[in-house]
Amino acid sequence: MWDAKFEETLRQFVPFLDDDEPLAPDTSLRDLGLDSMGIIEMMAVLEAEYEVRFRDDMLNMQTFATPGALWGGVSKMVETVS
Amino acid sequence: MYEADGMGITSMSQVIGNESALVFPGMGPVAFDEVSRFMVANAFARRRVAEADEVLGYSLVRRYRETPGEYSEAAQLAFLVNCLALADWHADQNDVRPAVVTGASFGGKAAAVWAGALSFADAVRMTAGFARLMTDYFATSHTDVVTQSCARTAPDRLREILAELDEAGEWYDISCYVDDDFTMLSLREHRVEWLAQRLRSIGGLPLYTLRPPMHSSVFGELRRRAEAEVVADMRFADPQIPLVADLDGGLRGTAAEVREWLLDGFVRPVRWPAVVATLRGLGVGTLRVAGADSLFTRVPCTTKAFTVVGASPRTVMQPRRRVAV
Repeated sequence: MWDAKFEETLRQFVPFLDDDEPLAPDTSLRDLGLDSMGIIEMMAVLEAEYEVRFRDDMLNMQTFATPGALWGGVSKMVETVS
Repeated sequence: MYEADGMGITSMSQVIGNESALVFPGMGPVAFDEVSRFMVANAFARRRVAEADEVLGYSLVRRYRETPGEYSEAAQLAFLVNCLALADWHADQNDVRPAVVTGASFGGKAAAVWAGALSFADAVRMTAGFARLMTDYFATSHTDVVTQSCARTAPDRLREILAELDEAGEWYDISCYVDDDFTMLSLREHRVEWLAQRLRSIGGLPLYTLRPPMHSSVFGELRRRAEAEVVADMRFADPQIPLVADLDGGLRGTAAEVREWLLDGFVRPVRWPAVVATLRGLGVGTLRVAGADSLFTRVPCTTKAFTVVGASPRTVMQPRRRVAV
């Protein structure tokens, strides 16, 4: 499961998820209101928070399909950096 | 129909100090289900839809429901109608009317209506006419050209990529400057996959590939036909409030200038940062966005410069505690 920083960041960009609703790993982020500009904004925040850079294969829409997929990608980048 | 309230453009000092601008966004894909309830249940939308139905001679909602395609003629008409209904909604919510109006790309027609330079009926006819014309034109002309959005791509990195295209003898044209690091590039379709990989390699994000393409100097014949076949019989009036053009950030103060601006949109790139600079120069601090926008009013050059107040069919019909703008 992801860390609190990830959850806090992600929740900023899903306007249709209420504060008291849980964020499930396989929920569609698009259905929660994450659109293309939200993805760009969120990437910038995640890159700053985790000191990583989305590149190459990470830059496809599958990466941002669900919280689980996104956390998988972020974790992989963090591992590569460290 | 909205009637201009007589606020003139006689002196720039009238504008400075006013706080808000009305912005009509460019068109993005909108599913019928996302807007249908707004179109049939919202009072402002019902009024605009009824007037559009009268102009068109058919039910726009029914046609929209029955027509596939995110950018069909019906979808474009619905977007125009909904944006103007949302501007009516904004006007109802605020005692002080926006001092300035602008429209990005597709939003130009609605901006011209709001400024009092184009009648709503002619904007409906123009939208339908442009949609049909573009379908016809791009069926046989420039069939291999698309417009690719390139996000997260700094100007110096974009220049490197363009230099590589130059070296390969490939044609391209910049169609839209969205933000410092966000550009839309028209090029031949066979180069899109290469461009996407090249962008990703530097951390850039290829977002949308638009078919048909838009805003390029090579579409001169399209502009000529739009003028002759669609706009020729339409009457324009001088704007009643300051109208900022998306092509250069300049004000369009006469009927003739508005007409030229709307036609030039076929052949000149959108320069949104220039619009931002102009609005700032006019003392605007708040943007009221009339329509679902997933681009111009969301990029940092906009959000850092203004408070952005959005209104889309979804947010108006389903108010939430937090609203995406």
